[in-house]
Amino acid sequence: MLTYPTPRLSRRSLLGNGLASIALAAMLQRDGFGQEHGWAPPNGKPHFPPKAKSVIWLFMNGGVSHMESFDPKPMLNRYAGKTIAETPFAEVQSPDRLAIERLVVPDANGNQRNTLYPLQVGFQKHGESGIEISDWFPYIARHVDSLAVVRSMWTTDSNHGAQSQFHSGRHRNDGDFPNLGAWVHYGLGSLNDNLPQFISMGNREYWNASDGHYLGPAHDAVPLRVDPANPLDFARPERPFPDAAKSVGTELIARLNSFREAAYPRDPALDARIASYELAFRMQRSIPEALDFSQETAETHALYGLDQPATAAFGSQMLAARRLVERGVRFIQVQHGGGGAGAWDAHGGLKANHTNNAKAVDQPIGALLEDLARRGMLADTLVVFGTEFGRTPGSQGADGRDHHIFGFSVWMAGGGIKGGIAHGATDEIGFHAVEDRHYVTDIHATIMHQLGLDSRKLEIPGRKRLDIDHGHVIHDIIA
Amino acid sequence: MPLVRPASMCPSAFLRRFLFALSTTVVSIASPPVDAAAVDYLRDVKPLLKERCFACHGALKQEAGLRVDTGELLRRGGDSGSALVAGDPAASLLIERVADPDPASRMPPEGEPLTAGQIEALTQWIAQGAISPADEEPEADPSSHWAFQPIVRPEVPPRSDSSWGRNPIDALIASRHESLGLTPQSPADAALQVRRLYLDLIGMPPTPDEWVTILGRSSRGPLDESDYTRLVNTLLEDPRHGERWARHWMDIWRYSDWFGLGDQLRNSQLHIWHWRDWIIESLNDDLPYDEMVRLMLAGDELAPQDLQKLRATGYLARNFFLFNRHQWMDETVEHVSKSFLGLTMNCAKCHDHKYDPLPHDDYYRMRAFFEPYHVRLDMLPGETDLKRNAIPRAFDGPADIPTYLFVRGEETQPDKSRAILPGVPDVVKLKELEIRPIDLPAEAWQPERRQWVQDAHLAAAESAVEAATSAVAAAHEALAHSVKLHADLAAQAETDEVVPSSARPASPVSIVDDFTTLNSQRWELLGGDWEHQPGRLQQRQDGPTRSAIRWVPQPPHNFDISLRFTTTGGSMWRSVGIAFDVTADAHAGAAAAGVNEEQLVYVSAVAGGSKVQVAYRQGGVDQYPHDALRALPIELDRPYTLRVQVRDTLINVSLDGVPVVAWQIPLARRAGGLHFTTFDALSTFHEISIAPLADDVELREPASATLAEPTHPAQAERAVGVAKAKLHLAQQSLAVAEAQRESLGQRVAALALAWQLADTAAADADLVAREQAARVSAIRAERQVTVASAERTLADAQLRRLQASEDQWEKIDKEIETATQNAASAKMTAQTDVGPDERYASISGAQWTPTRFLNSSADDPAVPFAPQSSGRRTALADWITDPGNPLTARVAVNHIWTRHMGSPLVPTVFDFGRQGTPPTHPELLDWLASELIDSGWSMKHLHRLIVSSETYRMQSSAAGREANEAIDRENLYWWRRVPTRLESQAVRDSILALAGKLDLTRGGPSVPLKQQADSPRRSLYFFHSNNERNLFLTMFDEASVTECYRRQESIVPQQALALTNGRLVLDAILPIAERIGAAAGDQTVVGDQAAGDQTVSGDRVADEDAFIRLAFVTLVGFTPTDEEIAACREALATWRGQDGTTPSQARAYLVWTLLNHNDFVTLR
Repeated sequence: MLTYPTPRLSRRSLLGNGLASIALAAMLQRDGFGQEHGWAPPNGKPHFPPKAKSVIWLFMNGGVSHMESFDPKPMLNRYAGKTIAETPFAEVQSPDRLAIERLVVPDANGNQRNTLYPLQVGFQKHGESGIEISDWFPYIARHVDSLAVVRSMWTTDSNHGAQSQFHSGRHRNDGDFPNLGAWVHYGLGSLNDNLPQFISMGNREYWNASDGHYLGPAHDAVPLRVDPANPLDFARPERPFPDAAKSVGTELIARLNSFREAAYPRDPALDARIASYELAFRMQRSIPEALDFSQETAETHALYGLDQPATAAFGSQMLAARRLVERGVRFIQVQHGGGGAGAWDAHGGLKANHTNNAKAVDQPIGALLEDLARRGMLADTLVVFGTEFGRTPGSQGADGRDHHIFGFSVWMAGGGIKGGIAHGATDEIGFHAVEDRHYVTDIHATIMHQLGLDSRKLEIPGRKRLDIDHGHVIHDIIA
Repeated sequence: MPLVRPASMCPSAFLRRFLFALSTTVVSIASPPVDAAAVDYLRDVKPLLKERCFACHGALKQEAGLRVDTGELLRRGGDSGSALVAGDPAASLLIERVADPDPASRMPPEGEPLTAGQIEALTQWIAQGAISPADEEPEADPSSHWAFQPIVRPEVPPRSDSSWGRNPIDALIASRHESLGLTPQSPADAALQVRRLYLDLIGMPPTPDEWVTILGRSSRGPLDESDYTRLVNTLLEDPRHGERWARHWMDIWRYSDWFGLGDQLRNSQLHIWHWRDWIIESLNDDLPYDEMVRLMLAGDELAPQDLQKLRATGYLARNFFLFNRHQWMDETVEHVSKSFLGLTMNCAKCHDHKYDPLPHDDYYRMRAFFEPYHVRLDMLPGETDLKRNAIPRAFDGPADIPTYLFVRGEETQPDKSRAILPGVPDVVKLKELEIRPIDLPAEAWQPERRQWVQDAHLAAAESAVEAATSAVAAAHEALAHSVKLHADLAAQAETDEVVPSSARPASPVSIVDDFTTLNSQRWELLGGDWEHQPGRLQQRQDGPTRSAIRWVPQPPHNFDISLRFTTTGGSMWRSVGIAFDVTADAHAGAAAAGVNEEQLVYVSAVAGGSKVQVAYRQGGVDQYPHDALRALPIELDRPYTLRVQVRDTLINVSLDGVPVVAWQIPLARRAGGLHFTTFDALSTFHEISIAPLADDVELREPASATLAEPTHPAQAERAVGVAKAKLHLAQQSLAVAEAQRESLGQRVAALALAWQLADTAAADADLVAREQAARVSAIRAERQVTVASAERTLADAQLRRLQASEDQWEKIDKEIETATQNAASAKMTAQTDVGPDERYASISGAQWTPTRFLNSSADDPAVPFAPQSSGRRTALADWITDPGNPLTARVAVNHIWTRHMGSPLVPTVFDFGRQGTPPTHPELLDWLASELIDSGWSMKHLHRLIVSSETYRMQSSAAGREANEAIDRENLYWWRRVPTRLESQAVRDSILALAGKLDLTRGGPSVPLKQQADSPRRSLYFFHSNNERNLFLTMFDEASVTECYRRQESIVPQQALALTNGRLVLDAILPIAERIGAAAGDQTVVGDQAAGDQTVSGDRVADEDAFIRLAFVTLVGFTPTDEEIAACREALATWRGQDGTTPSQARAYLVWTLLNHNDFVTLR
């Protein structure tokens, strides 16, 4: 069922738009949607002038404690060991304020954690802005004046299905929906015909690989391992195949396919097939090249922490991210921390957990910001640091914190975002976001906005999302 | 930024599906800035009203008595009077309500408010006089919607052009051609027609031999009609047909193997493949579609005793969801409605359906059919372990669980004022639904009554006794062997001094170094303070750091290495060992950077925990597996010989000739250094031997590690003690098995009497007495099991006591004490009288699949099997499959048509409601539906009709039909075929089939993910769940298990990579080339009768052309043009000229090329 709209798309635009989007457009048109609503697939151009070209989406699997990262709450120390009801903040637990939480599959114990647990780390003010950041993130703190910290995030789902929610706006239980990266890919297409435009690195825990979902698999992220020997599935012959023989065959494939245009004129599927082979063969060269770190200086290796076991893995991903953005990759998502529900899921032993995890990511992220800035790339590269939710102000067990959806932090940098600001606030114990509250899709809206996209113009009739999924642009943090 | 979201934010569970989304959200239509001078009702006003207002104020509903679907109705108004005052927007209620700043009273009540531009358009329209066409028709009555009307067999138009068309399908297609002026495309070539039939009906193309056979009888052009018909019949009878079409229905019916988190099963069921096999068999048997639907929905009520048919209810078992009943029910309601009825019932979960006459209640009425059902595993003949195999199936638990409507769809807000009873939507209700509870046969709800269940349990008990008897015999033999060995060794010891084990080499020794000199070609000294004296190499540094001597040459991969050493001291650990596969960085310790791995075997003389340990370091982290440890006394100042034999990942360690550890090392082997190490040990190395491990040396597998042969009399004596204890344990185990067998026999006998009693209406004193006696015997027999088990536990502890190291003794002694007491008390209990209330354990014939709805972190209380089933699902299934149901047959034939033809007649395949897209050919849809019903719901009948049609046989090319393109560019009216991309399974199966590698075994457990890369099974047998799916298949748009009413057909670079580089393809190309070559060699002219070959001189080239032709036909379904043949010849010549390329390899490369041709993955 591949009928395509005319006029014929050029090879270039086929690549640009992603191939399945064309198939989808055709399907929708055939199904009557397109005609009825005058909808047309995106043409690869932004809807208004963009501020950012690329996005590096850092996601900490498991749920980072907002109070011990970017939103210090000294009241937790003052009232440590007291139940919330015994503090002046008892009101935070009033049922109507907790009602935003959805009833979903419990994968934690689901109970309120009532006994306040003191901060497990110290805080310092940093930079000219004097924004406080915890001592677990000294490298990121050096770049605080480039960061817009949003301290007033909230969401609705307190299990780790919220990982998927943070990527698509939808909880996993709602079914599969396109992820943000897929929408961006769908809307803007390619900056570089030699590389996939949407790349995913690191562990995926709670959402499957169908990033594109109804936009089509062309908009799925291409999973990339930072292993130059095997960066991409099927990237190299799995059985011996001499290059010389392969190049003769490759050329013959192209010739034989193009011969078929005589018998099957105006067949865009055939064009798309030919184009897909061209991109595939280019990717086989371009990806190993992009991951060849030997082209980087020793200073850069050290900057990203590639010389230390604790930081080498995530540092390699950060360096790869920079190199890929440099080569025109539009959207890169990097998940940190695998296993179970995600590495940051500190139901117990929070101090050791966050110390280790922060150590693994802090220097590499600091290096990424540094490296992007000194190469002049930060201006149009949007870096986002997110996690599915925060952690409870109260303790779980002796030394952990549970999932917490009512208030948590996310930060963004670069790509036309204001630096050195802390936007929004939680209450004094970090329980509820109280000022300038933002649902997770507000982050999506802001990113789309910086890329020059209007999510409402992208949506496909019959495949729309609900109002809330569009989110609201956080204008206060835009430069 | 607002602090809170609009109150209209829809509740969670309800934010589910896009169609619903469409119904409640804003579309930015009618939003371009409106030129005040030119507001047009039809362009600017009506579409907005339709999108936002018709659902409540139109034909479907008239809230507040108001309809807004025509200008006239607006002016007429509702309960509050006219909605507008022409010319006076400020006085118009319409404007007041849409512009109301208070969200509580603003219209529309859900979704975002109208934009300023939209309100402006309404305002201007009213200001300009609210002009609307006089002849405007109001919205039609929803119940008059086409899909809700009865199916009436349409008149087949007479053919006006007898040259086109073969059956009524064509006549119905042709009538639209004629009215639109379309010229149908000519038939496809014979090869393409054959390829279509094969792939469409059995899912793989003909083999090269089959091609030669089929096309040899027919020249280019259409096939002879008799050949075509014969081929269709053959393929429909081929068992591969059921597999091919099963996969289609598995998409629609959401087949999924189980998935969850880690090992926790959260979705679907174990052994759900039984349902898949039932689908395959049913399709092959042409089981009527209506019967399939009935069995899937209610097989447990319709055939409660037929395990084969019970498999069908896997359809319902698949919806199992561990944690949340509402989600489970939602999925069931949504997908039963979508897949069988084409209704988006899910939209009515939160409120009345916005487009279809499906009130909020209807959703819960539909749910009520399913409210009682649960899932269980039924035992199969011969298999008592339900984890290994069983039938997952549905059953009704208690029928009295009420169904409540959820306010706004929120499960936290059930409306408990009334329970909702099962029912079907009024709009498609045929007659009053009769729901009668169904009395189940006893064996259905007491599956332990099934004879095969009792037989399986008894057989299992019998084989347990047999196994235990064999174990006793083996223990006797082992004891005799130990006794003899002890005697022999004792006798030998009298004549002989103890022979050092190192003097008894078991394999040829390549190098023995006794350190007479310290050879720097061989050894590099690392760390510590090494001192060499002739005959010894001594480490003199104390403290917890590692030192080592590195073997400079490359060590063998499989080796046999011995180290003779004496440890004299050390602060604590006193470890000496052999490390191998050591990476460059590893010697620096666990914290070292870089690749940091090693394998290590060491002897530690640490006080209180001395041992031999196999360890490894991975990613800089040392691992000391418990099962690779042998605790044993290690003394200071005494020489030991540590011997390590390694073959790949199997490692055998012995100390002084006594095997101590046999283990599979989990870390992959790599080429690395060989180190002899000390850690916190003062030690002297006396001699090292290094040899490759001979291939014929037999190593012990991990399990046999304890079967060490002693070499010293003292060891042998101890071994005799152990062997005696093992014999005792084996005897006790046999006693347990025998007691269990006896107990089972008694219980089965007692149960039989109990059932007889239960089934007997009249009181029968004799039967009561016999039942009582049997009960007492059964309980006594059970007590004997308890006694025997207690004694076995004791024997087990006693054996472990003998084998344990000293530090374990205290713990084991306590166990022995407890076990002794338990055994004594069990014996006491066994003597007491059986009480009147005492019960024996029944046997189990099925197991309820536990749920965790209560969120208590434990399984919910068990759902009992009830003697009565509610009958609800039978009633639902009867209604769905009633020939009068207007939806069922239409939805089914639309699915079947789509999979044959590549494109549906009703594009919204799961929404036949008012928001769906109406059929392009309503008469054809109804004719096919009538054929389905009237043929007794025979799907094969429908397949035959469709593939026999001329419509099916047309070319898919647009060539020569430019005129058609001007009229119907989208080919909505079928003037040509639609090319399709092969589904993932067909791609993979075809490659294997062409290579002659496809394993055609049918049915059975799903092939696990890890075995799939090497499995030649058909792809539909691969384990496929939300979490686990085959990488190759995912490249070609694998079915989503949550919802897949149609497959995607993407064209992405990953497909090119999989087909060019994947081992599946690369392993297949040579066999495919050979098969084509063999088939082409028999018959040099295939398909095309072209004589062009004769003009080319030389036999080889003629053969090559035959090969090229047959390769094209086989792989891409067409005969190549001269241009294509020339290009292939040229490439073949180039390949043959390349270094080391044989002619057959060159042909394989051509096959590779054609597998990557667009037309290989495309069905033209």
